[in-house]
Amino acid sequence: MSGLPSSRHRFALVLALSLLIAAGLITASELSAGKTGTETGREPAPPATDRLLAGIPQRGAALGSPTAPLTLVEYADLQCPYCGHWAQATLPVLVDRYVRSGRLRIVFNGMAFVGPDSNKGLLTALAAGRHGHLWDLVHGLYERQGAENSGWVSDGLIEEIAAGVPGLDGGRLLEERWDDRVGHELSAAAARAQQAGITQTPSFQLGPTGDTLERVDVSSLEPDGIVPQIEEALAR
Amino acid sequence: MRNERRLRFASALVAVGGVAITVYLLYVRASGATLACTTGGCETLQHFASAEVFGLPVAALGLTAFAGLVAAALARGGWARIAQATLALSAVLFSAYLLWLQVGRIGALCQWCLGSDLLITLLAALALVRLGLPPLATATAPVRPGPKKRPQGSRTNRKPRPQQRPQRR
Repeated sequence: MSGLPSSRHRFALVLALSLLIAAGLITASELSAGKTGTETGREPAPPATDRLLAGIPQRGAALGSPTAPLTLVEYADLQCPYCGHWAQATLPVLVDRYVRSGRLRIVFNGMAFVGPDSNKGLLTALAAGRHGHLWDLVHGLYERQGAENSGWVSDGLIEEIAAGVPGLDGGRLLEERWDDRVGHELSAAAARAQQAGITQTPSFQLGPTGDTLERVDVSSLEPDGIVPQIEEALAR
Repeated sequence: MRNERRLRFASALVAVGGVAITVYLLYVRASGATLACTTGGCETLQHFASAEVFGLPVAALGLTAFAGLVAAALARGGWARIAQATLALSAVLFSAYLLWLQVGRIGALCQWCLGSDLLITLLAALALVRLGLPPLATATAPVRPGPKKRPQGSRTNRKPRPQQRPQRR
């Protein structure tokens, strides 16, 4: 046992070495994560060329003017077929009739409960939201929605959608979606849905912008299912 | 040194559990299989930037640490104790950082990571207890020259007395 430090020195040596190793690993982890991280508050995104969204401001998960008097929050899963139907049948009507004129602002609160493809798609959409293109991604995915958890939210599909959106780099998006801060946004969206008591998708909340929103029961997934409630809220 | 042996055995056993967890995580990562998860955040966490350190998956780091702890537990000697305690304690500190990332920064929890955290904390406790045991060398310390004294109460140094049968009359 000669050459071994005494009992007290053994503990001190172990503690010092452990701190040193842990500090090294933590620094490496932070540096490694930082390499794929994104900066917050990036440059405002160029307007989308997609016919539906062209010229409409996007900020994070919100579509439409921040000063719109009314806000509609959509709770949806990117793999939910009903959400896909609503996005195809009703969203374009709401955009043309209310969002484009600055009367309505729609916020996408994604949920990822159907499975891995929901998770991957939502993270990618949230990453695109950091560049002001969440709605381009969401709508692109709904247009190409595949069978649940079949792996349809592939890297190739993301790159294909991103290629059609000026200012959006698909390769970069694929990296940035795994950034911790994007993950935090996903968790925050899940927490908001839980707080609102959302158990199915699509679900909606409607109310004055910046004020308390109320749950809206849509009678159908067609425009008629929600337009009367919007008209009523605007008339108040 | 029976305690030492028990501690080493227990440590090796716990570390093998850690090896199993990390091997499973690496298998799922490599094969693309669905991760069994009841906490909901496993899939999310597996793909985050923090799940890699310079391109190396954290699970691979964990596997290295647990495998090292198995080896250190099986090895004898003072330096093995120091290596085991150092490895276990640094792993606990790094696990605490990863737990903070899960809760504070990402907001998702993974049952496999929590299981690994539990095992590594247990291993660190065992390693520190082992480190605090009296040095192994006392058992084989060279005998000082001089008059031999028979230690009191020690049966090992006594000459065995020939057993005499009680004579029957």
